[in-house]
Amino acid sequence: MTHKKRQHASPAGGFRRAVQQLETAAEEYYRAPYRGAIARAKRDEDDLFMLFVFAEMLGIPNPAAYFTLELQPLLLERFHDWHRRMGMEHSPLDHFRCC
Amino acid sequence: MLDLLNRRFLFVGGKGGVGKTTIAAALASMGAEQGKSCLIVSTDPAHSLGDIFSRPIGSREMPLAANLVGLEIDPETETNRFIDAVKRNMRRLVRPELYREIDRQMELARDAPGAAEAALLERVAELMAEGLDRYDLVVFDTAPTGHTLRLLSLPEVMAAWSDGMLAHHERSRHFASLLAKLGARKPNGDELASIDHEPERRSGDSASQIRALLLARRRKFHRARRLLLDDTLSAFLLVLIPERLPILESRKALRMLRRFDIPVAAMVINRLLPRDVEGEFFNRRREQEAEYLREIEHTFAAIRRYRIPLLERDIHDFASVCRISRLLADELRRSSGLP
Ligand SMILES: Nc1ncnc2c1ncn2[C@@H]1O[C@H](COP(=O)(O)OP(=O)(O)OP(=O)(O)O)[C@@H](O)[C@H]1O
Ligand SMILES: [Mg+2]
Repeated sequence: MTHKKRQHASPAGGFRRAVQQLETAAEEYYRAPYRGAIARAKRDEDDLFMLFVFAEMLGIPNPAAYFTLELQPLLLERFHDWHRRMGMEHSPLDHFRCC
Repeated sequence: MLDLLNRRFLFVGGKGGVGKTTIAAALASMGAEQGKSCLIVSTDPAHSLGDIFSRPIGSREMPLAANLVGLEIDPETETNRFIDAVKRNMRRLVRPELYREIDRQMELARDAPGAAEAALLERVAELMAEGLDRYDLVVFDTAPTGHTLRLLSLPEVMAAWSDGMLAHHERSRHFASLLAKLGARKPNGDELASIDHEPERRSGDSASQIRALLLARRRKFHRARRLLLDDTLSAFLLVLIPERLPILESRKALRMLRRFDIPVAAMVINRLLPRDVEGEFFNRRREQEAEYLREIEHTFAAIRRYRIPLLERDIHDFASVCRISRLLADELRRSSGLP
């Protein structure tokens, strides 16, 4: 701790801090694509999940339709973004007329 | 070999009209007579349990005799209960203007194909879990073969379904935690903005609720399946009569049951013609019956078989159920080699 404080106080410490900031920026620069890829993977996973839950209502037969019903209320808040992303301008479901 | 009545769950199945309800009632009465606390459950939407005990039964547990309680699962009641719960959840989450839309959509779901079956599975699974604590023996009087085979295959299918859903959900959670580790900054370029716009805490809450629901589902399905496949706990009895179509159907049923690893403990050959009736007509019927019996012995050689004679009257009250029950008890004793 004290060691660190001393560094910050000295000119050398200021220099280190600048380097650290640069490193963080560089890290950020390299991380961003990863984050993008992971975010995309997460979104794909979520979209697929939405599809499984709402399949029956989109006219895709789903043998588990009955058991997906109880999941639907919990996915309402994601529903709008999802159907827009799926290329459906308006909600395909009567009771989720969110737009 | 384990005695049939020492099992905790007996499923009685077979082609329409062969005597499933009769044999199920006889088994349950036999258990009750031995001092076991017994529940008999009809899973056939066209219930006839009440007819055989000559009293209304319905979807609540109804005492029928000492140690014996009956229940007829009503898929419609079960579906309604489930859909109403979902409806209530939805209403909590949307604007009141949308209530009517929700009701409309839920009415459709109520009548969707598979809903009644799923509701029935739900109740059977529940009764198996509860039955383990509350009864010594639960006998299921099932609907004709096709319906019942589907019902019994559902735990496996649905367990796989909930596994799959959970796997997707877990992957998403994993990505979310990676993102959190990488820091909360926005990814570049952004068609992905929506992810960050998600209200962070609330979506976290619903994610864990989704997980909880899926986990509860999975537990239920896997549990039902485990109980069903455990041949020290569960047994399937196939009832047939010595005629061509029931034999063919039993063969198919056995193949299906084997495919789902459901243990078949025994067959009950019901309605055998009495020996002491004379006349040309009866002689000819008995000849035909003998042929079919030989075929049954041959085809189902690996399975224990019990024979029940045709009685002069229908099984229409507890006394006649008890008559069948005594005949069946004799058969069980005979085949287990006890005096
Ligand atoms: N051993 C028997 N002797 C006389 N009558 C019998 C015997 N077994 C069954 N019955 C009669 O045959 C009819 C059909 O029996 P039951 O209702 O038990 O068959 P089920 O297989 O349950 O029919 P379903 O497929 O309609 O449910 C009933 O009227 C019953 O009383
Ligand atoms: Mg019946």
